[in-house]
Amino acid sequence: MNLLDKFDAARALEAALGESGIDPTRVVIERIVSPTEAIIEGRPIILAGTNNYLGLTFDPRCLEAGHRALDELGTGTTGSRMANGSYAGHQELERELADFYGWPYAMVFSTGYGANLGTLWALLGDGDCALLDADAHASLYDACRTSGAEVYRFRHNDPDSLDKRLRRLGERAKRALIVTEGMFSVLGDLAPLDRIAELKDHYGAYLFVDEAHSLGVFGERGTGLVEALGVTDRVDFIVGTFSKSLGATGGFCVSPHPELGLVRYTSRPFVFTASPSPSVIATTLEALHQLRARPELRQRLWRNAGRLFEALEALGLKLGPPVRPVLGIPLGDKPAALRTWRELLDSGLYANLLLPPASPDGNSYLRLSISAAHTSRQIDAIVERLRSSLPQLRSAEPTSP
Amino acid sequence: MSTRTDTIAHELAASLAARLGPELGAEIRIGAETDLSRDLGLESIQVMEFVEEIEDHYDVSIALERLSKARTVRDLAAIVAVELGHSA
Repeated sequence: MNLLDKFDAARALEAALGESGIDPTRVVIERIVSPTEAIIEGRPIILAGTNNYLGLTFDPRCLEAGHRALDELGTGTTGSRMANGSYAGHQELERELADFYGWPYAMVFSTGYGANLGTLWALLGDGDCALLDADAHASLYDACRTSGAEVYRFRHNDPDSLDKRLRRLGERAKRALIVTEGMFSVLGDLAPLDRIAELKDHYGAYLFVDEAHSLGVFGERGTGLVEALGVTDRVDFIVGTFSKSLGATGGFCVSPHPELGLVRYTSRPFVFTASPSPSVIATTLEALHQLRARPELRQRLWRNAGRLFEALEALGLKLGPPVRPVLGIPLGDKPAALRTWRELLDSGLYANLLLPPASPDGNSYLRLSISAAHTSRQIDAIVERLRSSLPQLRSAEPTSP
Repeated sequence: MSTRTDTIAHELAASLAARLGPELGAEIRIGAETDLSRDLGLESIQVMEFVEEIEDHYDVSIALERLSKARTVRDLAAIVAVELGHSA
């Protein structure tokens, strides 16, 4: 066996996708028309798989802020903040995030993945324990498993399973970090953070919550599920991303612990990654202003989510409560899932196809994410296309226009 | 090999046989040397679900890094035996 033989499985996968003629990994967005429309394969497509929850990617104020930063500050920082220095915008965004969450410490990273890697590598090491939700995002798995800490999975969203693992740790629970998410990205299900916070307090552990899909979506102020469930003062670290509700790229961590301010000295992904470009920081900062100043964006997102949810349930799709802006619809085995996904694209709808092992329970899923920018007509069109293409809905009656 | 690991391997094999039941072909008999992936065709998610059952049954927690090299029923049993020793 030589070095490159390990690619045999990937080669076989690529060949199988090529033979099937359906390869979701090669979708090219030839032109992006708006937060909810694109041209793909020469045809107009409704986008329902972008995680662009607030629809801010074409917001005129965000665009103007980005253009101004490009003109005034150039295209990139060309190095890390530790080596090349911080731009004023990096620090301004950190101050704004700290103020938004009401905590004194914030750090900005160049990607969401980097935020998880950068903070968890700094927080965890030999002799520590990470207690990780079984369905946590790959970046959380990667960060925990390469941190040097012992990693224990607990059953997805199951406080009793977490309780057992904390109890078994005994005194070591005080060196344990519970790692979970707010809204999970595939099925849109919500972590029982109130019960998890009770366990964290009971055992004297620490709690780290990834709110990548919850920022701008949950809570009266839009900070996330932690706020919505009233547990902000019991969480130790919140991470999030700029690439969903804020419409850019990057990530952050906020915390009430002064040690977050020291992470910059100990986090290799922070020290050795080029800092975010000025235009990215500028659009993110403006998007955060919009998120804070315009709660109507969040209200529109939830109205749209409710419209989609009710229409699909009326057709007989069992989605279960509560209404949420991310839906995972099971698609059967892999060949059937690929066919359905392709049929939907042919009908003018783009959604995400999630296949094992990237899906949570070994099943294939179609993931839909709704945006505040979707119009009612677009949502009705999404429903109609799903009705025509999803095998479980083919016998359903068309919805009234 | 310790007797304790033997005993646990026997219990795990019986548990797997009960769990997989009708999915198993008649020619497959689960024993200590049965390879979970190669012989039983278990996907990693199925192995993790089985590990969760093991953890509950023996009241032990198994760190992910300890599982990375476990291939057979005996490998899993040896991990459980060590964990039981730690908590004894």
